[in-house]
Amino acid sequence: MEKTILIGGKAGQGTNVTSYFIGEVFSSLGYYVFNYRDYPSLIRGGHNFNVIKVSDKPVFSHTNKYDFIIALDQKTIDLHEKGLKKNGLIIGDKDLKAKRNFQAIDVKPILKKLKAPQVIENDIFIGWLFKYFGISEKFLMKELEERFGGKKIGLIKESARIGYKLGKETEKFKKLGPQKYFLSGNKAIGVGALAAGIDVYVAYPMTPATAVLHSLAKKAPEQNILVLQLENEIAVANAALGASFAGARTMVGTSGGGFALMAEAMSLSGMSETPLVVYLSQRTGPASGVPTYTAQADLKFAVNIGHGEFTRIVIAPGDPQETITRVQEAFYLSSKYRALVILVGDKHLGESDYTFDTLEKSSVNSDRFIVQNPAQNYKSYKITKDGNSPRAVPGQGPVVRTTSYEHNEYGNTTEEADWVVRMNDKRFKKEKTIIKEINKLNPIAVYGKGENLIIGWGSTKGAILDSLKSLKNYRFLQISYINPFPADLVKKEIKNSKKIVLVENNATGQLGDIIAEKTGHIIKNKILQYDARPFIPETIIRKVKKL
Amino acid sequence: MKIQDLQTREENTWCPGCTNFSLLNTVQQGLVDLVNEKKIKHKDIAMASGIGCHAKIFDYININGFYSLHGRVIPPCLGMKAGNPELTVIGFGGDGDTYAEGMAHFIHACRFNADFTMLVHNNKVFALTTGQATPVSAKGFVGGSTPYGLKEEPMNPIAIALASGATFVARGYVNEKEHLKELVKAAVMHKGFALIDILQPCLTYNDPTDYLEKRVYKLNKAHDDSDLKKALDRAMEWDYSLDKKAKIPIGVFYKIKKPTMEEQRPTLKKPWYKIKRRLGWQGLIKQFQ
Repeated sequence: MEKTILIGGKAGQGTNVTSYFIGEVFSSLGYYVFNYRDYPSLIRGGHNFNVIKVSDKPVFSHTNKYDFIIALDQKTIDLHEKGLKKNGLIIGDKDLKAKRNFQAIDVKPILKKLKAPQVIENDIFIGWLFKYFGISEKFLMKELEERFGGKKIGLIKESARIGYKLGKETEKFKKLGPQKYFLSGNKAIGVGALAAGIDVYVAYPMTPATAVLHSLAKKAPEQNILVLQLENEIAVANAALGASFAGARTMVGTSGGGFALMAEAMSLSGMSETPLVVYLSQRTGPASGVPTYTAQADLKFAVNIGHGEFTRIVIAPGDPQETITRVQEAFYLSSKYRALVILVGDKHLGESDYTFDTLEKSSVNSDRFIVQNPAQNYKSYKITKDGNSPRAVPGQGPVVRTTSYEHNEYGNTTEEADWVVRMNDKRFKKEKTIIKEINKLNPIAVYGKGENLIIGWGSTKGAILDSLKSLKNYRFLQISYINPFPADLVKKEIKNSKKIVLVENNATGQLGDIIAEKTGHIIKNKILQYDARPFIPETIIRKVKKL
Repeated sequence: MKIQDLQTREENTWCPGCTNFSLLNTVQQGLVDLVNEKKIKHKDIAMASGIGCHAKIFDYININGFYSLHGRVIPPCLGMKAGNPELTVIGFGGDGDTYAEGMAHFIHACRFNADFTMLVHNNKVFALTTGQATPVSAKGFVGGSTPYGLKEEPMNPIAIALASGATFVARGYVNEKEHLKELVKAAVMHKGFALIDILQPCLTYNDPTDYLEKRVYKLNKAHDDSDLKKALDRAMEWDYSLDKKAKIPIGVFYKIKKPTMEEQRPTLKKPWYKIKRRLGWQGLIKQFQ
């Protein structure tokens, strides 16, 4: 059993709210849901749509073949009618025009009678749809009440009831099991950060990372955290380093353009060994690019950000569950090793909603790794066996120093060749220690049993996993730690495979380049998509079969 | 506490006779006074510096410190207050550092009103890069990048700070040591963002000592430092040029009480590192459903 519903309309017509609600209802009935969101960069007008897939089996991607199209305007029909399945249905106001399978509802008299604004028509369609699916009116009303509440709830329920009466029970969707967890990658960033014990989040608004700023800002009082919006990303990154130096567990969030402005501060984090977690939510570039759409084109930028040689830990989670645990790992590594950790996500992962049976947190230590009662002669950059200098913070007693200059163990400036070498060696000894830790954190994952291998990273995980069902002779190697790169593990998988295929949401195959650099293996088969849209499984299956 | 407690044994690389020696000593004396008056604690003082001649002070003053990047003195200062509101934070910046590379931060610091002090070593020249014009250099300034004379007129950071909502705006002169020491003490004790623009001749690249000595005068009780309009009038008495008719007021132009960044954020009460979090997992994920 699997149904795909597209909801389209102008910005402001509530496509996202409506599709999210449909997703919530099905996930609370125990179904698996994937909700994809597509919208241009504007506030009113244009064309927004969501594609929501509902299934009794796990599902992590959407498709372009629809069982239902809920059309809030004519453009939705014009653009998407070609994707309607043979027996599919288009639902919309009777004044709209469709070539086939049109279930028209005379919306205007209902709205007039209820004295309701246009956006309430969505609830009429919701009522109609859930009647079609055979879901009880009582359950629907309870869900509406829980999810919306507020002043307009009476109106919402009334219009949904009218839609329900107009519909015809055609299928019988029973409760499948316990409620599923339904969340986006951006929500997972918030969950992971709070689970890791974040104190301070600093950001400047930028799509698609803004949702993290919004949700943490809202939760700040009850979670006892501080959320700051500063004048630009340069201020954000440097202030975050100041807060971190003062002992706060600190994270910043941005997209490519803001990340570019942070580059100098990333280098400062590396030299000063000040912990920092950065959430980079990629969107389509270069420059302003296609701002509300997705891409995986900043991977090599993240791995190389900042001038000079220092360790950038780069982690790319593939779904919201993994995002939660990877954010915790990011804080753990950053705090313990006074390191820069960059979490690379993208619009597709950040703004799509996924379901999970359970949500797990990571078991990594959530200590601050700040020494208790540091000695009066504390050395901020003490040279140790594993390269990691114990961390003290100002206010504890001894003088604590952090610096952008090359320095001696006390953090005092030096230009002596000997110290420059010793401190570089110390920092890269620390990298070796970090690599040992990363090997314990499952830096890669392998799915399936085929003799051939698809390699990918980040948000393509969903579409690749769903395409494996039709590609039985393929395994999927997901690489989550991009830097330091788990070269030995990747080499082994490549060696044990016949055909190797790289799947990336960019034009050049950036992970492929990194694999070539780190393992010497050049991947010839590349499936690259760079139309600012995420993969759907059908594309991967078709292209893999052609190889 | 003695002044020796705030000194280090690092080799000093300022030019012989540099006015930074005096500035450093004045700040140290001011801090010693405040510690001995039990107004602040040595262990809680934290400084940040930018990059330039001024910034070498990081190595010569024995307090917690963040040697940041050029133009980026202010964000780490604000960040330190966000990370631990109990710290006494002092930023040291150059005029190029603060008014060129870091101007956006400067204006916004006035607006945020986080509780820290910003001391600008204003020698009206980029010195460590061997003498180029800054935004406060006088028109006609001859340097490596302006061999035929600077074409632009200087900006007035005192007026900018006043217009941007700063709650403590002062100007000091490095050769008026006692006066500057009292300014530093008042700025450190001010609740909110406090600016002291410190006029400081650079003996190597820009030395207007004679010009300044003749024109500097101290604001006295006749000046109402709670009146923004009067503060602006005083600020406009000198436009940072070499105008022969100008009078150059030093002292506190403006001082008012406004809620600080920290006071307006109820979760920012104590150092985060002292907070033990109980991380309930089920409750947390429920919140996001």
